[in-house]
Amino acid sequence: MIGRRDVLRIGATGAVALGSVAAGLLLHAREGVADLHSLPTIKDHRLPKLAGAVDMVIAHGADPTLNTRRAIEALGGMGRFVKKGERVAIKPNIGWNRLPEQAANTNPDVVAEVVRQVRAAGASKIWVTDASVNTPEQCFARSGIQKAAGEAGATIVLPEARAFREVDVAGRILRTADVLYPIIEADRVINIPIVKQHGLSGATLSMKNWYGVLGGQRVTLHQSIFVSIVDLAVMVKPTLTILDATRALMANGPTGGNLADVKAMDLVAAGSDEVAIDAFGATLLGLDPFKLGFVIEGLRVGLGTPRYKDLKLVELGS
Amino acid sequence: MKYVVFAVLVLIPVFLVGWVVREGRSVPPTSPLASAAFAGGTAAPEGPKADPDDAPLLALFEGSPGGAKAKAMPSLYDEKRLFDYIDGAAPLYIDRHFRRLAAAEMATADGADLTCDVYDMREAENAASIFLSEKSGSSKTVDDWPQALVGSMSFVFRKGRYYVKLTAFDKKSEAALPGLALALRERMQ
Repeated sequence: MIGRRDVLRIGATGAVALGSVAAGLLLHAREGVADLHSLPTIKDHRLPKLAGAVDMVIAHGADPTLNTRRAIEALGGMGRFVKKGERVAIKPNIGWNRLPEQAANTNPDVVAEVVRQVRAAGASKIWVTDASVNTPEQCFARSGIQKAAGEAGATIVLPEARAFREVDVAGRILRTADVLYPIIEADRVINIPIVKQHGLSGATLSMKNWYGVLGGQRVTLHQSIFVSIVDLAVMVKPTLTILDATRALMANGPTGGNLADVKAMDLVAAGSDEVAIDAFGATLLGLDPFKLGFVIEGLRVGLGTPRYKDLKLVELGS
Repeated sequence: MKYVVFAVLVLIPVFLVGWVVREGRSVPPTSPLASAAFAGGTAAPEGPKADPDDAPLLALFEGSPGGAKAKAMPSLYDEKRLFDYIDGAAPLYIDRHFRRLAAAEMATADGADLTCDVYDMREAENAASIFLSEKSGSSKTVDDWPQALVGSMSFVFRKGRYYVKLTAFDKKSEAALPGLALALRERMQ
């Protein structure tokens, strides 16, 4: 028989049990909330605009190294963008198992010169990284960037699983994303895209180059491509953008392969306004920047201006 | 009886608290990308499992067609994964009823590297459509083979449901492209 005392004892034990469960669930829920809010975001790497400073430079010439050096010098030198002891992440396009001549990846001479300039400015660490589309080892080697950037003094970061950290994107397409750690940890970020035709977005230039900091499947990002491109450009705001147009892939991008699709442009453009740089890059492909979805979206969200000719622009001849 | 009731009441919270803690430790990643393509390191994302329709596609790479040998099993890409290989060019194929891509890096007998991408477009008319859309301005047609185009470092052709893109990385591998193309065409019966 169960007596009155037993009923009380069972009741008390039941209350403790239910209380434990409720407390456990509450604690669990709070931990979940805490996890979501503890994700890091990527800081804004842009520098305040200097009064009277040159905004954008276009340097023409047959030598990509010299074009890069002259463009940076005309902007005021790398010391304007990188201070002694800072850690710098450099993001070329190393997405493809292609040679430099095939113009699917950034020219290795341009990347190497940027590394040398950053090093001369006193950077304590220089990372060169990209989340390649094709097999990374092949892309980094065949592009010539691994060798050129490595010899110039950069640390090469391949997109291995351990190279990614989850961040809060708060974008319209992506809420969170796995991003290559140099982009998160760096004091300064330099974007070095190449000019390419792109089957879906029309062109791949500087803003689209941020696809290459993400891990995971790309299909999600291509569903609303202009919004995705600008979401990522809002996520990573670089200190400096150097557009490589030594060669441009005019058709069958972004993969290319056939040298018949490549056109020698022999120029490098540099500046801090990605929208302006992309507007200029679009013109190299024969596109009207005001009809390019991501340029217009970039303007709409206040990332920059497509009216690059209204900026303080310097054009250097060969 | 009362001991059984006691035991049950004591075990319930232990079980539930244990379950909560266990779930807390194995919460799935919040990012849709966290189960990333690179989960296995730097290898290409895992492709779809080969189905019986892939057998003739994979058979094209067996042995040494035209003297070139695949360095590893070809990677397979379906509609969803195609973006992971050709990024923004994928919709051009998907819009034309693309079914599967088999892609492999190959090496010639003298060690020159090239890539071989064979797209199964389901129907010959789809393969013809993508062949036309990707035609480069200065590519040249091949004598007696109007479904083939040769470019610098590049050879593309179509045969039936297949569209094939061969890409070289130097003069040696470029010279090997026509032989490989012919051998693949022969196998596409």
